[in-house]
Order: sequence, then C-alpha cells, then structure tokens
Amino acid sequence: MKNIFNNLKRIIGISLVLFTISSCEDFLNPEPTSATSGETFFKTKADFDLAIQNMYDGIAGLNSTQSNDNHALQVEFYVTEMRSDNTETKASEGEAAQFENYTLESTNGIVDDYYRSYYDVIFRANTILDNAAVLATPEPYEAEAKFVRAYAYFNLVRLFGEIPLVDRVIGISDTDIQFTRVAVSEIYSLIENDLLTSISGLDNTYQNRASKAAAQTLLAKVYLTQGINYLDAQTLCESVMSSGFTLESNFKNIFYNELNNEIIFAISYVSDNSADSQNFSAEWLNAVGRTSGVNYVTADAALFLDANGGDRTMYSYRIDSGQPTKKQVVKYLPNGDTGLGIAATSSNPVLAGNDWIVLRYADVLLLHAEAILAGGNTTTAQAALNSFQLVRDRAGLTTPVTEITRQSLLDERRAELVFENHRFFDLVRFGEAQNVLSAFSTATGGSFNATDLLLPIPQREINLSLGQLNQNQGYN
Amino acid sequence: MKKQFKNIIWLPVLALLAFTVQSCDDFEQFEPAGANSKADQTPPMASFSYSQGQGDGEVWKDYSFANLSTSATTYMWIFEDGTTSSEVDPTFTFPGEGEYTVVLTASDALGIESVFSDVIDVVEPELPEAIVPEILEASFEDNSLADGSGDGRDSWRNSALGGVIQITSSPVQNGSQAAKFPSSGDRIAYQELIVSPNSDYILTYYYTLKTNNPGSVTVSVLADGGHIDLAAALAAKIEDFEGTDQTSSSDYVQGNISFNSGANSVISILITNQGEEARVDNFSIAAQ
Repeated sequence: MKNIFNNLKRIIGISLVLFTISSCEDFLNPEPTSATSGETFFKTKADFDLAIQNMYDGIAGLNSTQSNDNHALQVEFYVTEMRSDNTETKASEGEAAQFENYTLESTNGIVDDYYRSYYDVIFRANTILDNAAVLATPEPYEAEAKFVRAYAYFNLVRLFGEIPLVDRVIGISDTDIQFTRVAVSEIYSLIENDLLTSISGLDNTYQNRASKAAAQTLLAKVYLTQGINYLDAQTLCESVMSSGFTLESNFKNIFYNELNNEIIFAISYVSDNSADSQNFSAEWLNAVGRTSGVNYVTADAALFLDANGGDRTMYSYRIDSGQPTKKQVVKYLPNGDTGLGIAATSSNPVLAGNDWIVLRYADVLLLHAEAILAGGNTTTAQAALNSFQLVRDRAGLTTPVTEITRQSLLDERRAELVFENHRFFDLVRFGEAQNVLSAFSTATGGSFNATDLLLPIPQREINLSLGQLNQNQGYN
Repeated sequence: MKKQFKNIIWLPVLALLAFTVQSCDDFEQFEPAGANSKADQTPPMASFSYSQGQGDGEVWKDYSFANLSTSATTYMWIFEDGTTSSEVDPTFTFPGEGEYTVVLTASDALGIESVFSDVIDVVEPELPEAIVPEILEASFEDNSLADGSGDGRDSWRNSALGGVIQITSSPVQNGSQAAKFPSSGDRIAYQELIVSPNSDYILTYYYTLKTNNPGSVTVSVLADGGHIDLAAALAAKIEDFEGTDQTSSSDYVQGNISFNSGANSVISILITNQGEEARVDNFSIAAQ
C-alpha cells in the first residue's frame, strides 16, 4: 500500500514537471496580438491585395539617394541603356562611367543595387505564392505573382547569365539555394511556366499591373530571346494585336499622356510624393538630380536618330541648354519643355511622377515582325510588313516597305524604343552585340570585351557566399 | 685584464659569424627560381566561344570570337591559314564552307601558357524554302494513295463536319473520277495539309455545276487542323472562293485561291456546295 502511494506521488511529480515544460513553450512563443508577423499576416483577400501592391512597390524602387536602398527600376538605365551605344554619363566620372567604358568592377554599387532589388521583388512574389493556399480561389493572385517573378528573372538572367534559382521563400540557412548558380535554361523554364500560368489566369483589366497581354508579350520576347518557338511567339503577338491596343497617334503622347491606349505594362509613379515618386528623370538632366547628369545621349545615337527617327527624333533627344555640346533624353522629362509643348509632371523634379513604360504596343508590332522573320535574314510576308509599316507610318515614314531585313528591324527598334532600356537586350537577341559594341567602344575609347555582355555577380554576394558563388568571366 | 680584452674581440667576431649564417637563410628566401620557388597559383586557362555572322550576302563567313580565358594577360590566336591575331576578341572571315581549326594560346605574365583549340564547321545557311504540301487523292482517283489503296475520297473524310462525298466518273476534268456533291449540300470534303508558316501559296482546282437551280460550290482554306465543328471551321477561314459559274453542266471551270499561311504550320481545305449538284476535280498547290 505504501508502495502504491509512493508510486502515485512519483507519477504526479513527473506529470507536474512535464506540464511545466510544455506550458513554458506556450509562454515563450505567444501569438502576437498587437503587431502583424509574416507567419500570421495572410488571411483574407485584402491582405493579398496589399502584398500585390508590395511587389510593384519593389519594382518601382525607392526614391532616395542612399546607396544602401533598393532602387530597382530607377537604376535600370545604368545596367541596360548605358551599356549600349545609346547613352553615357555627361562627365564620365565615378562608378556610373564604368558602364559606358566597359570597365565594370564587381564592387560596382549600382550593379549590386539592381541585383538585390530584383531578388527582393522575387522574394515579394514568392511570399504571395507560398501563402496563396489559404485563399479559396488563389489563382488570380498566383497568376499575378508569377508574372512579376517571371519579369524579374527575365531581366536578371539576361543581365547576369547563370543565377541562383529561388522559387520559394528561403530562410537564412538555405545557402545552397541562395548561392548556387543554375543553368540559364533552368531559369528560362521557370519563366516560361510562370508566364503560361499568368496568361491563363489574367485578363486585360490593368495597364500598371500584370495583364494577359503583358504576359503574352513577355513570353513572345522570352521565346525570341532563346531563338525558339517562333510560331508561338507570332501567335502570342497576334493575340495581343487583337486585344484592343492601338498606337498613340502622336509619338510625344506615349510618354506624356499616361496609361494611354498604347501602354501594355507600365510602372506607375506619383509626382511630388516622396514615397511613390522617382528620381531617374531628374538624374538624366544637367545637375538637377544628385549626379551631374547621366543617361546622356551619345553622338552615335543622335546621328542615328537624325537619319532614321522621322517625327520621333525631336521627342527623343534635345540639346542640353546648360551645356550645348551635350544632348539629353526627351522621353520622361520631369520639368517639361515649353519649346516642345511638354508640361512639367511635378513641381519638384526629383519627385517625378513620370511612369516607366515596360511594354508598349509598338514593341509588340516589331516583335511580331521579328517572330515572322523567325531567325532568317529577310521576310516579305505581308503580315510582317503590315506591323512594321504601322510603326513607321506613325513616325511619318510612310514610304511603303517591301522587305524587312534583320538590320532594318534592329534599326527600327532602336529608332522607336531608344532610351527605353531595350537597346542592349535587342543587340544581344539579334546576335549583334559584340560587333556593334566593340566598334562603338573603339570609337569612344572604351575597353569592350565579349565578356562585358554579362554583368559581374556583385562582390558582396560572393563574399556572403564564402566563395560558393563564382564570378562571371572577365571579372575579378 | 688581457683576458677580458680577448673576450671583447671575440664577441663581435661571433656576432658577425652568426649574422652571416642568418643572412644566408634570408638570401635563399628571395631566390627567383629553383626548387624552392612557389608554383603559379592561378595559371591561365584558355577558352573561347564563337558566333557566325547573320545578314545578307557573304556575312555568314564572318565569325566573331569571344575570349573566355581566365587568369591570362596576352593572347595569340592562330587560324587555319596561318593568320594570327593578338586581339582579345578577334573577328575572322573564313574563305568558304569547311572545317577549320582555331587555336588560342593564353599566357600570363609569368610565361605560363594554356592552349585551347576548336574545330569550326563553317556552313552557309540555307535559304528556307516553303514546304510544298502533297494533296492526297487530289484527283479523286481509286488506288492513288502511296500504298496503292484508297477509294478516291478516303483522304477527304470528316464525319464531324458533314457526310462523305460521292464519286462520279462523268464528267471529269482529269483521270477517270471526280468528286460529286449532291444538291442537298450536306456533304463535305476536308483535308489537312502541312505548310510553312507565313508563306504564300496558290491552290488550283476545277469545278462544274448543274444548271437546273441556282447554286455554288465553295472551297475554303482554314487556319490550322483538327476541325470538328462546321461553324467554327468556317470562322477559321484564311481565304475562300465561291464558284458560281453555271454556264455548262459538263465543262469544268478553273478556281484559284491565293493565300498566306500566316501563323500556321497546318492548314485545312474544306469544300461545301449550296443549291445545286456540284463536281470538283484535280487539286494542286504551289508555293509562290
């Protein structure tokens, strides 16, 4: 009897200890009630709507002059247009001049800014995708997040080549995912799958958010970039061409009548609003922004536009009135130009509201002709001629075109889309980047090599990876 | 006292000796080459890729080379004909088609060399010619399929779109048989063809209509294949031709349809008739 009693005491004692331990866990990990956390945030559609906005905020980037902030799209012109024959810095100074001189260092802060910004956008999209299962109908949110993820990866893979493939939210210990570069083909297969999901799950409601037409245009460009599926690319373009978009009749209005009928996908900015404005428009002027002037028009581009731009030339570049030997971009002016009939878009030019156009209808028409050209040298197919002629007619170049060559198409894309961050990618896609840029670099005293077609992996990432990430060729 | 003096002399001598021995070690450390020198920690590694010129004329002979070597400072390219270049990324024009060896020697400032060579197969790109499709049982003759079988209309059936056509032996335009479409208009002929996208074609055939009632026979070229609904099929029309010539019930009239295949690698031919009995014969197609 005494034995049983003793045992009972022991059992109660042990249970008490167990109970104490388990209640301790609850006590130490309370559910926060007054603050939101990532783990408990996503419950309703309204929460996901906020997360969707958060993705576009990530692409728009911060309007700040802090080099540690993520500026994303606002520094894209450095890594694209300023590496082409279209633009350069005004003073050829500092790390901004590494782009035009083809002397990029792996420590370049702007390259690092773009890289981490776009992986941040991918993180924002992955956050939605990882949580979407709590919704009864997650499909529209997944379709939109996948478009944004595909858009970010498409830019990164074209700029950096092999890159880490992060297709879910990763933690601090997932260093293998964070620091393993995967084959370009693997990145493209994620992009294609994401865009196919977007095409089936989206409609054409928005121009400043993902849409079916934006996903179709992007997928056509993804196919053309890889030199595959020309027929699918053509069909995708034709589907966009029957979706109600039109060319803006006046070239100037593409940029100064925001969200007009030519816009397929734009990133919106709000003027005079420090949280939602942009400063790249001011940076392109003479010491209006923080720099003395970047993304200035090269002599090569000005000569080209004079010869090939038609009505587009006067709305593409102008003489810098503060330094008449230099030329500035007219697309995206923040403080207007009375001579050209362009009103200021904001009272403070460094808080500019000019939207950035990612995809517009003229791009689709020229991609349509490119898809029909299908990697060949010439085409006389009427469908291609029609699309090509529409773009030229708007520029006042109404002489009927009877044949499109690779070169004439590449030239038309330069004249139409100059200073819109297309040129570098177009040169690479047409296989002309090495020829054109080495000749350009020789003329301007730069030091272009074939390895300059890829950006360096930021040194900060390589350091963080403890040497696991390897550098692109041509960089130390 | 004398002993002390001796000691004072000896000390510097010893010190000098010790120093000499010591400095010998130091000296060996800086010996430039030999058994004790360090190996080149980052020897050069030569590598390159190349791309063929794209464009008109002879541009296909022009190749651009992209130097992918690491840890090298000087380069020597040797092309098959003995031409050399010390550029980082040279271009080279090959004399014509053939296999050519290109050798790249990359070396660093220590004189360490790495050699990489590749054989380049230079081929002139062929101008893509439009596929000329074969129309099966084009003249509706018996046993005209490749294996010697066929009833003249086997290649033209599609029961989802309409009844199978009949065969007539008089009048004919070619051979001994032609297709016959009764006046009720509920029979169709349908065949899918493989074509090159965005290419111009001309489809030629012959038809004749009886003259009792007003009527017509329509040949339509449809985008894509796999049609199973008549209304949807007609909505996918690229081009068509409605033959209405009722001058004679026995004389055939030529019909021509010019079309561009557009974004299709497959097109379909669909034949329907309206109001009067029609006969159709002798299809052919040519790329333009």
